Amino acid sequence: MNRRTALTLLSTAAASPFTLGSPLRALAQATAARTLTYGQSGAVTALDPAQGSFATYPAGYEVAYCLYDRLVDFDENLKFVPQLAESWDVAPDLKSIRFRLRKNVRFHDGTAFNAQAVKFNVERLIDKARNPTNRPLWDPVADADVVDEHTVAIRTKAPYSQLLNSLAHGSGSMVSPAAVEKHGDKGIAQNPVGAGPYRLEAFTPGQEVVLRAFDGYWGGKPATDRLVFKYILEASTRIAALRTGSVDVIDSVPVQLVAGLRKEANVEVVVRPSLRPMGLAINLSRPPYDDPRVRRALNHAIPVETIAERVFFGFAKASDAPLAFDTQGYQKQRPYEYSVAKAKALLVEAGFKPGAGGQLEREGKPLKMTLLASEGLFPGDVNIAEIAQRAFQQIGIDVTISKIERGSYWDALRQERAALAFDLAVFGFNPSNASGLYHLESLFKSNADDAARPTVWNMGRYRNPKVDELLAQANSNPDPAKQLAAMGEAQRIVWEDAPYVWLHVNQNVTAFRKGIKGVELWPIVFTIARRARVEA
Amino acid sequence: MVPGDEATLMAGATASQADIELLRARLGLDRPLVKQYAARLVGLARGDFGYSSTFRGNPLPHVLARLPATLLLMGAAIALTVALGLPAGVLAAVRQNRWPDYLLSLLVVGLLAIPNFWLGLMLIGALSVDRGWLPSFGFTGWASLVMPTLALAARLVALVARMTRGVMLEELAKDYVRTARAKGLGTPAVVGHHVLRNALIPTVTVIGLQTGYLLGGSVVVERLFAWPGVGDLMINAVGARDYTLVQAITILFVSGFLLINLMVDVLYVLINPRLRHA
Repeated sequence: MNRRTALTLLSTAAASPFTLGSPLRALAQATAARTLTYGQSGAVTALDPAQGSFATYPAGYEVAYCLYDRLVDFDENLKFVPQLAESWDVAPDLKSIRFRLRKNVRFHDGTAFNAQAVKFNVERLIDKARNPTNRPLWDPVADADVVDEHTVAIRTKAPYSQLLNSLAHGSGSMVSPAAVEKHGDKGIAQNPVGAGPYRLEAFTPGQEVVLRAFDGYWGGKPATDRLVFKYILEASTRIAALRTGSVDVIDSVPVQLVAGLRKEANVEVVVRPSLRPMGLAINLSRPPYDDPRVRRALNHAIPVETIAERVFFGFAKASDAPLAFDTQGYQKQRPYEYSVAKAKALLVEAGFKPGAGGQLEREGKPLKMTLLASEGLFPGDVNIAEIAQRAFQQIGIDVTISKIERGSYWDALRQERAALAFDLAVFGFNPSNASGLYHLESLFKSNADDAARPTVWNMGRYRNPKVDELLAQANSNPDPAKQLAAMGEAQRIVWEDAPYVWLHVNQNVTAFRKGIKGVELWPIVFTIARRARVEA
Repeated sequence: MVPGDEATLMAGATASQADIELLRARLGLDRPLVKQYAARLVGLARGDFGYSSTFRGNPLPHVLARLPATLLLMGAAIALTVALGLPAGVLAAVRQNRWPDYLLSLLVVGLLAIPNFWLGLMLIGALSVDRGWLPSFGFTGWASLVMPTLALAARLVALVARMTRGVMLEELAKDYVRTARAKGLGTPAVVGHHVLRNALIPTVTVIGLQTGYLLGGSVVVERLFAWPGVGDLMINAVGARDYTLVQAITILFVSGFLLINLMVDVLYVLINPRLRHA
């Protein structure tokens, strides 16, 4: 064989269609018709609702929502629907709820689900030593009382209107008490046993979770035989896996890649705003930012639409309330119009005059600002800070951006008042139990001691007794309509007091193969495959 | 000191300060640094790498479970390098300033300039998405090994080919080659028996030293192909501030690097009989 024939052979081999691949793929699809594979952006390493919860967020929770049932579930719009509890009565004093449990429910290991099982789970969740995370959701709970085999009453220490939120939250997952006994408090994270529609088949922490339909599920066997959760960190790899058909569903599609994915004939894209409104938290503890006129000026000066377009390719919506659009209790407010003129007028009203070089000053002191930005903690955080810097410079403020590595950002935000190193800071809060009240209390309820480190997220030291009163009302008034009214009023006051520069709500993007039905994207970042089925 | 606090990240954005303190105490992060360090050293000696927040316990078994995948990828990359780079370099040297040499130079420049993640993306696009020949991610069979190996080895193949060519040219110009030819030996015998053995030493050295690159590259390539190896784990560990896990992997990587270089030293002796008497 001379050189020429060898080369010819080589080139024909390269050009001829490689026929082995396609029949193999067809075969794989036929046998796997009732298997649904979800390529997740996060790694699942533990599947225990207590002991630090389902690491990591949201991947572990997404598996948990298929594996475990809870007393109460959310629907796609975050309304409460019965799950293991058939119905419930809220006590008039809002200090307990009595649940009537579904009968003939068994955990995957055959253990009966009953009032004792609920008591066991609630006691495990409220015990700080056994469950160190999600404390704000479980600290208000006092205990659970077994009324009879199928009735249980869960009591709270004080009136608490968010008990259903805690129970519907992923950490409210009911674990088989026998399994905890068998595997121990630590071992259950690798050997989870719930009462959900799917039971665990195989679990390789950090790589893959395989669930199989549970024959004994009270709601009937699910339509899909197997659910496979595969961890694929890299977004472009997830997209390639979806395009080749090796996974059916992917989450967390980067916004800059959505347009390309939408052109694919057999891919469907769902977009949904999250529950986390982004903003710039203002440090109200020193002038001039203690003046609401200055804070409103900042709100008028920021081009939120530009951020949504330039940083997020349109996959973000301008906030119109302290809460995100889908949060329970959200009430729309009047947006701050983007107007440099209005911003300047407000600053003049607050006593500022242009000094040397157009920079504003008051009583000879120039208007300066330190803007704290995390790096990679929130989507586009550094870009947001840079756009804000330019916007504030336009109205004559001298802005310095201070970037903080993401691991130390929470610490930099929550400091003693004397050590606060920022005037404004990029921040967004995600109420994982979907409750607007939880969100408002975490951010805007007055700190017990403004000089000390804030216990929750009121790092700007916002203090308004009227808001505190409204939040207390929303937590203790048994009438849901009154709760909503109080929260609406609190949002109106907070919006006008402007302890934040309100920015935008990011949208989450999930994509799946056409022919897959029932994939849900919840505003709490979760892509839920529980009711998903393969139809083609 | 590394910035950032493991307990804060683990407790999550909704945690209160009290919860974080509690978690810190449970992780032993509230003890004096000296004590933490001493405890860590004692643990290491006993194979206990400490508490990894990712795995809620000693990370060592999990890291070891991931190790075969990484070793497989590295082994495949080294094998491909030897199988392609070495003959290509020899061919280019023997055919100096003729078309195989020019072609090789072109390829070497190209492969050295292409970053591995980009090559990986292009491979996925061409071989997986467009044609469906190979699985695009994970480890599902031997076909899965092809693209990650190509992406990881490309740079090394080019480097070894260029290195081999240079050393071969140097050796080919030496007196012993002239003597061998004077004895009447043909080119294959001269190259195969005499020149190549001498030229192998620097080449093996390069491969040994490049193990560091392979380890670093495996982090990138494993992420791109969702390869269930140690590199992929490393990225997660850094993101989660799981220092224990980062340490475990780093110690493993360093041991691997040392081990491979020890093997290179042993190889020297095998390749070059003169060293046995030195």
